[in-house]
Formats: sequence, C-alpha cells, structure tokens
Amino acid sequence: MRSISIALFLAHALLLLASCAGERNVVVLLPDSDGKTGSIVVSNQAGSRILSEQKQATIISSPTTSPTTPAPMDDEAIRKNFGEALAVLPPPPIHFILYFKTDSTDLTDESRRLLAKVLPATVDRKSTDVSVVGHTDRVGAREYNYNLGLERALLVRKMLVYLGIEQGLIEVTSHGEDNPLVKTADEVQEPRNRRVEVVVR
Amino acid sequence: MKKLVACTAAVCLLAPLIAYGAEMPVGSIKTVQGTASIIRNRTPIDTKAGARVFRNDSLKTGADGSLAMVFRDDTRLSIGPDSEVAIEEFLFSPAQGKLSFITRLLRGTAACMTGIIGKLSPESVRFETPVANIGIRGTAFAVKVDDPGR
Repeated sequence: MRSISIALFLAHALLLLASCAGERNVVVLLPDSDGKTGSIVVSNQAGSRILSEQKQATIISSPTTSPTTPAPMDDEAIRKNFGEALAVLPPPPIHFILYFKTDSTDLTDESRRLLAKVLPATVDRKSTDVSVVGHTDRVGAREYNYNLGLERALLVRKMLVYLGIEQGLIEVTSHGEDNPLVKTADEVQEPRNRRVEVVVR
Repeated sequence: MKKLVACTAAVCLLAPLIAYGAEMPVGSIKTVQGTASIIRNRTPIDTKAGARVFRNDSLKTGADGSLAMVFRDDTRLSIGPDSEVAIEEFLFSPAQGKLSFITRLLRGTAACMTGIIGKLSPESVRFETPVANIGIRGTAFAVKVDDPGR
C-alpha cells in the first residue's frame, strides 16, 4: 500500500494529505491564514469521519478500514509530514475589485487608480495568469446579467491591455449574478455586487 | 489573394471561440523545485513557473521535488516529494451552474487551500485518494478578498 498524506485547508481551512512515517495515510485539517477552520469529511467504504477542529487528523490504514477517530496532530508531526508541501503553498491570488459609474462604461475614480496597480502586481508575482471576471447584482434575468458582466469584463481587459498587460495572459469571463460578494434575494439591487474583479495569480 | 484574406478572417473569428472553449486552463504553476513536472498524455512536459495546467494533467515530483499551483477559483494546491496528483475534473462556470472540482492524490503529500468552488458549492469538491475520499462540509464563510489598494 502506498502511503498518502493530505493537508486540507478549506477556503478557511487547510487540508493536508500526507504519507506519515511508515505505511500510514493521514489527513489533517488546518486553519487558514486568518485562523479560521472549515470542516471536511473523510470517508471510504468502511466508514466516515468529520474533521472540524484545527490540526485534527485521521489515519486510514486501508480502503476497507474506517478512518480513525480524529485526534490532534502536533506541529512537529505536521512539519515532518507536510513541511515540503506547505513550504511551497502559494499566497492567495490578489483580487482587484472595480466599479463603474452608474449607467456608464467609465470606472469610478477610485477604481481607475486601483486598475493602475494591476500591472505592478503581475510583475511582482511573475504572474502569467490573470482573469477578468464580470459580476452583476440580481436585478434582471440571469442570462442578461451574464452578458452584462461579460461586456464590462471585456472593457476592463481592453484597459489592461492598454496599460501594458499582454492580452494572451488575460482570461475574460462572466459569473453574471451567480457569484455575489453580498448574498441577496432575486431582483434586489446591490451596487457592491455590480463589479469586475481582476484576479492576479 | 482574396482566398488568403478570407482564410485569415476565418482564423481570426475562430481564435476567440477556441479561447473560450472547453480547453481553458484550470490554473497555472507557481513554484517548481527539484524534479517536478506536469504529466500530459502520460508524458512529462517541461514545467516552469507560469506553465498552464489543464484538466486531465497530473503533477508529479521526484525524491527532491515539490510543486505548487493556483487554480482559477483561487484554490491553491502543493505537493511534496515523491508525490503524484491528478486533476480529474475542474468546472468553474457559476453563471452556467457548472461547478465541479475533483483531484486525486495517487501517492505522497499534498496541501490544499480550497477556493471559490468550495465556497459556492462545497458538495462539488472532492479530493480522492486510494484509501479514502475527502469532501467539504458546508461552512459559512465569505471569500477572502485581498485588496492591496486599501
């Protein structure tokens, strides 16, 4: 049996899978950089365990043996098992959130200043991977909002290319009304959700 | 000559369609250390920081290697030495209701910080291993937004 170790950080939790010393497979749940911890379920045909506290680990000796009762893993063991993988875990992508003036294709002054910081960020991170994602609020039909988001994202790409970012590095897409910053009911106006996000990875 | 112009126009029209097609990258490599590469169609390819990663690619390291990548939904994944992980499925189109993220660790060690798919649809994220699968339980949290302009 090959050994496996996983460390999982969820958006607010980190998952680590790791090969422990010997023939062991272990999963440990870690908090993210904010100190928040999510929760994961580790399961196979023999059983399933929920890990919901930071540094909780479960050991799985085989596909037909239930994962063990979650128990704390100390920092030394985490470092020993996952040190190399954790050392190269990249920083979170940077999100630049841009807003347009009402009923306009012009960015607000603040967003215009923010846009100028995208190029330095790509240089700083040696990024080859930039996304421009259009978002709307939930007023209007879903498809209409998808297209509206895409239109604005295309405009922002044009601005980024003008500012010197290579067009081939930029992926343009729209999440329409389906990935809000602030959750609302349908047909509710929410200016904070009408945005274009530039993501530098 | 007219023919040539027509052909060029057709290529120009097609290019954006290809860019938006199914074969959009799932993310990019951020760090390569020691022996480490992307495996595509069972063949290791030259892998440097910045290389694009696609669905069905695997990431593989030797005894001295480690490798890290960032996905389009902000998920960050790294592997330690003697490790192999396969990107089995990655769909990130919230507006089409298409969200899915399945990776499989075949051996070795991995660290994963889940991203927006895990936030929008925790049940669509699965991390598989030979001995057990890992799923995400819905957790109420907002996505982290790092704004260096503030």
